[in-house]
Amino acid sequence: MRSFVVVLVAALPLCASPADELFEKKVRPLFVAKCSGCHNSKTKMGGLDLGSAEGLSHAAGAGIVQPKDAEASRLYQALTWTGKLKMPPTGKLPDDELAAVRTWIDEGGEFPKASSAKAPALDAGKQHWAFQPRKNVQPPAVKNAAWVKTPVDRFILAKLEDKGLQPAPPADKLSLLRRVTFDLTGLPPTVEEINQFLSDKSPDAYARVIDRLLASPRYGERWGRHWLDVARYADSTGMDEDNLYPHAWRYRDYVIDAFQRDLPYNEFLKQQLAGDLLAASTTEERNRNLIATGFLAIGPRPLAQQDRLQMIYDVVDEQIDTVSKSLLGITIACARCHDHKFDPILTKDYYSLASIFASTTTFRNHGRPGSISYMYYAPLDQAAYDRYSRHRMQMLAKQLEMEDALSEDLGRENAALRPRIPELLQSAWKVIHSGEAAPNKDVERWVKWLKSADEKARGSYLKPFFTATPETIAEVAKQYGDDYAKSAAKWDDRLEKWRSRFAREALEDRGLPERPKSDADEEPFFTAATFNGGPMELPESARVQLLRKEWKQFEESLGPEPPLASAVCDGPVIDQRVFVRGDLHNPGEPVDKGFPVVLAGEKKPEIKGSGRLQLAEWLTSPEHPLTSRVMVNRIWQWHFGDALVRTPNNWGTTGEKPTHPELLDYLANEFIARGWSIKAMHRLILLSNTYQMSSKGSREADPGNRLWTRFNRNRLSVEQIRDSMLAFDGSLDTTIGGTLLVEGKGKRQKIDLEELTRRSVYMPVRRGSIPSLFATFDFGDATTSSEGRTRTNVAPQALFIRNSKFVRERAAGIVKKLSDDPQIGTDADRVRRAYMLILNRPADPSEVDKALSYIASVEQQFGTTEGKGSGWTSFVHVLLSTNEFLYLN
Amino acid sequence: MELRRLPIGRRTMLRQSAAGFGLLGLRSLLAAEAPAGPLAPKPPHFEPRVKRVIFLFMHGGPSSIDTFDPKPRLYQDNGKPVPFKRGLTFGEDSVRGLMKPLWDFKQYGQSGIPVSSLFPNVAECADDLCLIRSMVGDGVDHGAALLQLHTGMFQFKRPSMGSWVLYGLGTENQNLPGFITIKPSLGHGGANNWASSFLPGEYQGTAIGNSGMKVEEIEKEPVPWLTAKGISTDHQRYELEMLQSMNRAHAERNEHDPELEARIQALELAFRMQVKAPEAFDVNSESEATKKLYGLDNEVTRDFGWQCLLARRLSERDVRFVQCSHSYKWDQHVELFKLHTKNAAEVDKPIAGLLKDLKARGLMKDTLVIWGGEFGRTPWAQNADGRDHNPYGYTIWMAGAGVKPGFIYGATDEFGYHAVENRMHIHDFHATVLHMLGLEHTKLTYRYAGRDFRLTDVAGTVHKGIFA
Repeated sequence: MRSFVVVLVAALPLCASPADELFEKKVRPLFVAKCSGCHNSKTKMGGLDLGSAEGLSHAAGAGIVQPKDAEASRLYQALTWTGKLKMPPTGKLPDDELAAVRTWIDEGGEFPKASSAKAPALDAGKQHWAFQPRKNVQPPAVKNAAWVKTPVDRFILAKLEDKGLQPAPPADKLSLLRRVTFDLTGLPPTVEEINQFLSDKSPDAYARVIDRLLASPRYGERWGRHWLDVARYADSTGMDEDNLYPHAWRYRDYVIDAFQRDLPYNEFLKQQLAGDLLAASTTEERNRNLIATGFLAIGPRPLAQQDRLQMIYDVVDEQIDTVSKSLLGITIACARCHDHKFDPILTKDYYSLASIFASTTTFRNHGRPGSISYMYYAPLDQAAYDRYSRHRMQMLAKQLEMEDALSEDLGRENAALRPRIPELLQSAWKVIHSGEAAPNKDVERWVKWLKSADEKARGSYLKPFFTATPETIAEVAKQYGDDYAKSAAKWDDRLEKWRSRFAREALEDRGLPERPKSDADEEPFFTAATFNGGPMELPESARVQLLRKEWKQFEESLGPEPPLASAVCDGPVIDQRVFVRGDLHNPGEPVDKGFPVVLAGEKKPEIKGSGRLQLAEWLTSPEHPLTSRVMVNRIWQWHFGDALVRTPNNWGTTGEKPTHPELLDYLANEFIARGWSIKAMHRLILLSNTYQMSSKGSREADPGNRLWTRFNRNRLSVEQIRDSMLAFDGSLDTTIGGTLLVEGKGKRQKIDLEELTRRSVYMPVRRGSIPSLFATFDFGDATTSSEGRTRTNVAPQALFIRNSKFVRERAAGIVKKLSDDPQIGTDADRVRRAYMLILNRPADPSEVDKALSYIASVEQQFGTTEGKGSGWTSFVHVLLSTNEFLYLN
Repeated sequence: MELRRLPIGRRTMLRQSAAGFGLLGLRSLLAAEAPAGPLAPKPPHFEPRVKRVIFLFMHGGPSSIDTFDPKPRLYQDNGKPVPFKRGLTFGEDSVRGLMKPLWDFKQYGQSGIPVSSLFPNVAECADDLCLIRSMVGDGVDHGAALLQLHTGMFQFKRPSMGSWVLYGLGTENQNLPGFITIKPSLGHGGANNWASSFLPGEYQGTAIGNSGMKVEEIEKEPVPWLTAKGISTDHQRYELEMLQSMNRAHAERNEHDPELEARIQALELAFRMQVKAPEAFDVNSESEATKKLYGLDNEVTRDFGWQCLLARRLSERDVRFVQCSHSYKWDQHVELFKLHTKNAAEVDKPIAGLLKDLKARGLMKDTLVIWGGEFGRTPWAQNADGRDHNPYGYTIWMAGAGVKPGFIYGATDEFGYHAVENRMHIHDFHATVLHMLGLEHTKLTYRYAGRDFRLTDVAGTVHKGIFA
């Protein structure tokens, strides 16, 4: 209980003012822990409620505290047990807590005003721009109508004209092709694609490029990755145990495929929130829907948390946080312990949503105390899965039966032999020293084993035996016997414990404990004598052999586990109450399942089951003010590098306002009108003149580019860098989908991004050990819904580009490709081709000269030690390291 | 030049730092003073007691009552049922009776601080230690406890203590990362324990290998991509000059975009790091006597000895925050006697070596050494010969500048279960360490998602009672 309160207070953060801090930090926790059992909003003993905000504000008026005078305060007198009333009746508070109360009263004794923990009034909150219905906006008139290519341009140009500014000139053809190709596919244009585009003089050449790119399978991989950032996708649980999600990749592939197929965004959301509850006409469709719910399942999960109830509500909180930030652009999780500080989101709103997710299952089961909990996985082929489970149970039962027989038969024989060890060793010693024949088979086994002992054994645990004399051997042999008996008893105990745990966990379908191994360091004599051909290793009985054979047969015929998905399903429907101040043990008023009042109104929807389906329907209704806006804002951000609302996950009062509110509404309206098609939005945006502007030009008039006077210059993402380098030397493996996780290897599997050649989106990501390359290049931590990648420029990035084996190998690979190409005749042509391949532009004559003299100079200076061709590799490595390659104009 | 306005302050900072660097030549930069930037040294809030920290982290949770907090009552009540209400524990189904300390205690030095026979070498330094016997945390499992110890929170992802320190103070050596964690565990929060979270990426800890790696393996490349393969430094320098001339021409064509200039600077910095840093990691260049002092001559103590010696080399070079991890060793739910003996033997000599060496070199006057685990262990037995997790009252110690030497602060109850006197919650611990570094924990804030965050969240009291 105690630790709990501290946690709560720690978690309350978002919000205390300095004046309240002592109260919040020291006094309130002790009220909650020591007083609110009786003095709460329900029992209100003595008319006092110290557990709720309302109660405290009432207590302030009740005069139990004399401001700035602890001694004179009734509350303090009761707590110090100085008067008649002694509180708490169970025992006086420790001195430090008393001192805290005293200081608090002496410094003013003010209870926090109830209003300080209240959200902005609902009515006022409703006026916030983001919660307003979308307007039916028309693109504004502009003076320079010739500049307008799509309606998007009117919104941008109107504002520029209003400020007396000019848009940047159009980007040159090559920059535009490079920009749009990286944008839509994450890869650079090939030399052939460049030539084709340059020679296509038709007016719709650019539009055709867009069509080609949107149809490329590389498109889904690039744009799916954007969504995976929003969905905080990773392949492990993170937090404490960081266990793998072995099936999460199916969700990743689902996302990639959804973008590729241009699945309407409203359907996409419904499937991710409630796929398991949607009707499906085919197995394929049903499975796709199940896999989609991975969105709710694959978040960070504290598997070892021992307070299971806490754990469940922490997961609920994580789901609310992800759903609200990613789909609604509001931070609802702030309202877990108190009404939201800045936005009109009430604690009741939070628990209305919590009720939905608390009625949703994400765990298969919670382990016993001291063990971890297990995630729920949905079988994608139920019949096969049932067959598999039955078969596996039979296999485990057989294994147990075998183990029992083993312990019974072998254990009995081994136990019978144990007391004879001194006698057998003594005989063996005599045989070895006299050269006589062994008197019986038992002794013979020992003699054979002892004679074959290696130097290490003779120098350590067998030393007493080999250095024994006729006078001491009896005692030495007895010592061995005692030693063995002690170790054997321990071993029997361990094995027994393992068997019972194995049986229990097999029944409960949890991770099975591994059969223990005897520790050769710790019990060298016992281990050597009992296993791997030692004299105490006895032949298995016929019964055991048969059982082992049967078990192995089950094992061999088990086959691979049928496919599963990281998913959720409806659990028992919970009647949720508000947890006062987030404290699970302090339930307050009951709440109905539903959605935030500021957006959905007071009337609660009709809910079936968990309510996830109703949540999905509410979110995707065309009238919803946020869902469509939040997504078009992201699409804009992913095209331009910055969003219209530059806090894409926070549209509340502390977030930023849109640079072009009308454009935002226009895009959102179009999005819905065009069937929530993301590809339609691409065309609308990419064909605009706004997208086709140059990134050059003065920054002075518009330093933050909030008016979109030019295109943003952006650094390539880590995926773009890695994938394009692999593409340059032809080593990129363009296989689509599937997992790189090797079954059985678990967490030990090394994922080496510098060795693997699949696209970066397919690299498994463990939250507890984000690969260095990703971590260095701003991949993020896959812990919460991402607002977009940050762009840093730190030295470790330069170290990777300059020193990694990966980049040097790519450089060498490119050189080889260039020299193997029969089309390229001269060194100068080779330089020109390298420019075209890597920088996607022709080289100036001066650049060619400079490159050739550099190459020659490197060969001359370092060629003798580093071999021929070192100049070329060096030069290509330089090109791969340039800002010109790493930045998109 | 006006800078593009960005949603997050870090980019602005980067751009500002970069202004005007593009035209500086490589050679002049190699000789240059530390540049201004996010990592440049920053003035503390007030006069600091220490300049840097070495944190010796005992992952798994060493038992306080068997090491630095003897409890006579436990001898008396050995084997008796637990007479008090137990808090949430980890292995609820394996609770046994009270268990007395399994090692003998003796008092050491002028201060008479009691230390158990697990730490004979550290005991010799008793008069340098400031024991804090009243640590309190909220995490009952390792993951939660590690995250709270390292970041202050376990429900949310937050920046690591080292990141906050680097953010607050910068670093005086631009050729080395300012926050280094040696051989950390990848479990129990893994990289989250040294991540900068929402603080800019410059402040994230740099991991030197991980707990699963052997020292030899790490020595080959302590920092990812630190050394160029297959080409000489001269060649590299020549290549870099070609690259930078192309980059400068490119910047010229692109209005000297500050972001492009910043990357030109990052390339210079990286090269400087690559030239200067390997020397810092070269533990082998130490004298035989020094290696011996840290136990590098003994297989048992070699690993942690290497970590401690490297920590000293890095501190000497003004790395702001260094963590060594003995990981993940101290979690004795069973076999407490055997394994605590083994664990202590691995770290005792190296730790004592570090304390003596820091003293001898005068580094102790501005370095703070912290020793401790994520929690202590229960006074009752678990599974007959183990102890369970106890975050409710446990011991850590500090040594070095700023703390009272040969001093015992705080106390647990007579069973060593709950901290009862001068309770130092992990938030308080963080506030206190920041204070020693000259940082006021309530003022060391970072605005993120519309709110000011700090290491101590809304809590934290500086325990001035431990200050010298």
